[in-house]
Amino acid sequence: MQMQNKYRLAPRNPLHVLLFAVPGAVLYAVFVLWPLLLALWSSFTDEDAYRLTTSFVGFDNYGRLFTDPAYLQTLRNTVILALICIVVPNALGLGIAVLLDRAGWAFNVMRAVFFIPVILSSVVVAVIWQQMLKDDGLINASLRAFGVADPPGWLSDPSLALYSVGWITAWQAVGTCVVLYLAGLQSIPKELLEAASIDGAGPVRRFRAVTWPLLAPSVTIMTVLSMIGGFKIYDQVKVMTNGGPGVGTTSTLAFDVVRTGIDAGAVGYGAAKAAAMFFMIAAISLLAIRVMRRREVDL
Amino acid sequence: MRTRRRTKQFVLAATVAAWALALTGCTAGVAEPSGSGDEVSLTFLVSETPNLTAQYWDDAIARASEKVPGVTIKKVVGENTPAYAQQLFASGQAPDIFATGIANGLAQKGMLAEYTRDEMEKAGVTDFTSGTINGKFYGVAVGAQAIPLVYYNKDLFTKAGISDAPKTYAELLDDCAKLKAAGITPFEIGGGGKDTWATNFALASAVAADVLTVDPGWFLKRAKGEVKFSDRVFVGAAKKVQDLTQNGYGDKAAMTRSYADLEQAFLGGKAAMYPMGSWFAAAADKAKLTNIGVFGWPSDAGKSAVPTVSGSGMNVNAKSKNVELAKKWSLAFATDKQNRDLGVITDGDIVTVKDYEIPGNVGAVYKETVKAYDAALAAGATVPAWANITGDGALPPGFSDLMTAANVDLLTGKKTPAQFAQYLDQKYAAAQK
Repeated sequence: MQMQNKYRLAPRNPLHVLLFAVPGAVLYAVFVLWPLLLALWSSFTDEDAYRLTTSFVGFDNYGRLFTDPAYLQTLRNTVILALICIVVPNALGLGIAVLLDRAGWAFNVMRAVFFIPVILSSVVVAVIWQQMLKDDGLINASLRAFGVADPPGWLSDPSLALYSVGWITAWQAVGTCVVLYLAGLQSIPKELLEAASIDGAGPVRRFRAVTWPLLAPSVTIMTVLSMIGGFKIYDQVKVMTNGGPGVGTTSTLAFDVVRTGIDAGAVGYGAAKAAAMFFMIAAISLLAIRVMRRREVDL
Repeated sequence: MRTRRRTKQFVLAATVAAWALALTGCTAGVAEPSGSGDEVSLTFLVSETPNLTAQYWDDAIARASEKVPGVTIKKVVGENTPAYAQQLFASGQAPDIFATGIANGLAQKGMLAEYTRDEMEKAGVTDFTSGTINGKFYGVAVGAQAIPLVYYNKDLFTKAGISDAPKTYAELLDDCAKLKAAGITPFEIGGGGKDTWATNFALASAVAADVLTVDPGWFLKRAKGEVKFSDRVFVGAAKKVQDLTQNGYGDKAAMTRSYADLEQAFLGGKAAMYPMGSWFAAAADKAKLTNIGVFGWPSDAGKSAVPTVSGSGMNVNAKSKNVELAKKWSLAFATDKQNRDLGVITDGDIVTVKDYEIPGNVGAVYKETVKAYDAALAAGATVPAWANITGDGALPPGFSDLMTAANVDLLTGKKTPAQFAQYLDQKYAAAQK
C-alpha cells in the first residue's frame, strides 16, 4: 500500500511533470503555436509574397473581409456545405448504424464496406466522383441510356455544383458516423431496452425514449466534428470544381484562404481570412457543444 | 527511498532521451553541406507531365551532369508555378534550380540569380527578346512555344466540305457553320476542376488576333494603366469567344473534362478544332496521327495570330550556395542537343539554340507547327503569348486564376463580355502590387 502511494506520488512532483511535458510542449509551441501567432500577426499587415515592403494595417484586412462580396459568397457556400456535412452523414450514419447493430458475419462485412470510403484519400474520392459526375461521365451516360436527353450538369451547372461537392463530402463521412453511432448503440445497456419492451414500448418508442437520449454524447461529438469538417472542405473543391464553375460558385473558406494567401501571394489578407475561419469554427463549435450538452443524459 | 531515487533517475533519463530525440529530429531537417568532398549537390525542381515523364527528366539530368563534372543533381518533383515556388522560398525549401519559368514576381524581390548576356551567348542562346524582367535575364531562352495555335482535324474538315484552313475570322465562322451542319462539333473548348485553366485558350487566341496583332505591346500598356480590358477591342475579342459557345460551336461536354480528356476527345475526333499550345504537336505525333493541321487564329482583317513565349526556364535561386555552378549546369542542361531533341519529341519545343538542327524522327504535326511558327517569325507576325509570358508584360500573380473563373462565366453566358471585361479590370487593379 505504501509502495502504491509512492508510485502514485511520483508523477505528481511538479518537476517531473515539467520535465516530461517540456519536450512535447516545446514541439507544440514551435510547430503549432508559433506559426499560428505568426499568421495572426500577418493578418494585421499588408504582407505580400511579391512585394518587398510590409506595413502594419491594423484591422483593415478584417474590415475588408465583410465588405468583399466574393468572401461573403464563399462564406455562404461554406455554411451550406457545413449544413450538408452535418445533416446527411449523421442522418444516414445513424440509420445505417441502427440497421447494422446486430451480430453475425454479414453485418461485420457490411460495417467494413461502409467504412471503406473513410480510409480512402479525399483526393482519390473526388477524382472518382468527378469522373462519374462530369457532363459525359458514367451517371449522365446512364441517364441518357434511360432516355434522359439533357441530363443535369452535376459539376457544370452553377446551381448544382455546390450540392454535388456537398454530397460527395457527406458520402465519404458516412462511414465515420456509422462506426461512432454503432459504438454508442452498443454501449447502451440492454436492460434498459428490455425494460422498455416489457413496459410495452415498440421499436420506435424504444428508440425515442431510450436509444436517442443515450446516444446524445455521440450525436454531440459527431455534429461538432462534421461541422468542423464541413468548414474545412478544400480537397474536393480543388479537384472537382476548382471553385467554379465560374466565379466562386463552389469556393469555400479554406479554398479561398489558399487562393488568396498562396496563389495570389496576398499573405496578409489570406492570413486574415484564415484567422476569421479559425475563430468562426471555434465559436460555432463551442456554441454547439454547449447547446447539445444540455440534452445529454448521464447513466 | 531507493524507489524514489530510481524514479528520479528514470525521469531524468527519459527527459534526456526525449530531448535527444527532439534535437535529432530538428537537426535532420537542416540542410547539409552540398555534396561530399569535391562533389556538389544541387536540387532541381521539375514538373512531370504526360509529355515530360520521370524518365525524360532523369535522362536529361544525367546528360547535363556529364558536361559539368563534380555536380550531383537531386530531382525534386513539384508544381510549375510562381505561387508554388513562392511557397518553397517562404518555407526555406526552394531548390537551387527551377526547370520552368517562375521568375515573375520572384526576380523583382531578388530571389533569383541573373544571367549575363555573355554567359548566354557563349552557351549558344540566340533569343534575347523573351522572358526579360526589367530588361534582365533570369531564364535561358532556348525553346519557344506558340500558345495557342489552332489544331484542326483535316478529315472532319473534308467531311464538312472545307478544303483549307480559314484565313479570316469570317471564314472561321463559315467553317464552324459548315461543320455544325455536317453534325460535327466545331471546337473542343473546355476544362473542368483542377484543369479549368484549359478553358482559356480560345480567349487567348481571340485576344492575340484582335488585340495583339494590332498592338503587340497592349499588355505592357495595360500594366501601366494606359489601356483597359473594358476597351472596345478587348470586349470585341471576348464577345467572339462567347458567341462561339452560345452558337453551339463548342463541345457541350468539354467544360467538365480534365485536360487529358480534352486532348483525347480531340484526338478521337469529337471536335474539329482545338485551340492549344504547341506542345500538343508532341501528343498528336505520339498518337501517330497524320490528319492534324494547324493554323493561327485569324483576325477579321486576315492577320494570323501566332502568340509565342520562350526563355523563362532554368531559373536559379539567388540564395543557392553554388549560384555560379547552378547557372553553369543550367546552361549546359538548356543547350544540350539531346535534351533539346527530347524536348522537341516529348513536348513539341521549338528550339532557338544556335546551329540547332531538328531531329529526323519528328512527326508531321510538329513539322507543321514549326512551319507555322517560322512563317510568322519571318513575317514579323509573332505576338506575345499574353496569358503565359512570365517576364515584362506578364499578368500579375493570382490574376490568371480569377480570369480563368470569369472566362467560364463568359463561355457559359453567365457574364456578358462587358461584365467580363469590367471584372478583369477590377481584379487586375487589385492584383497589381
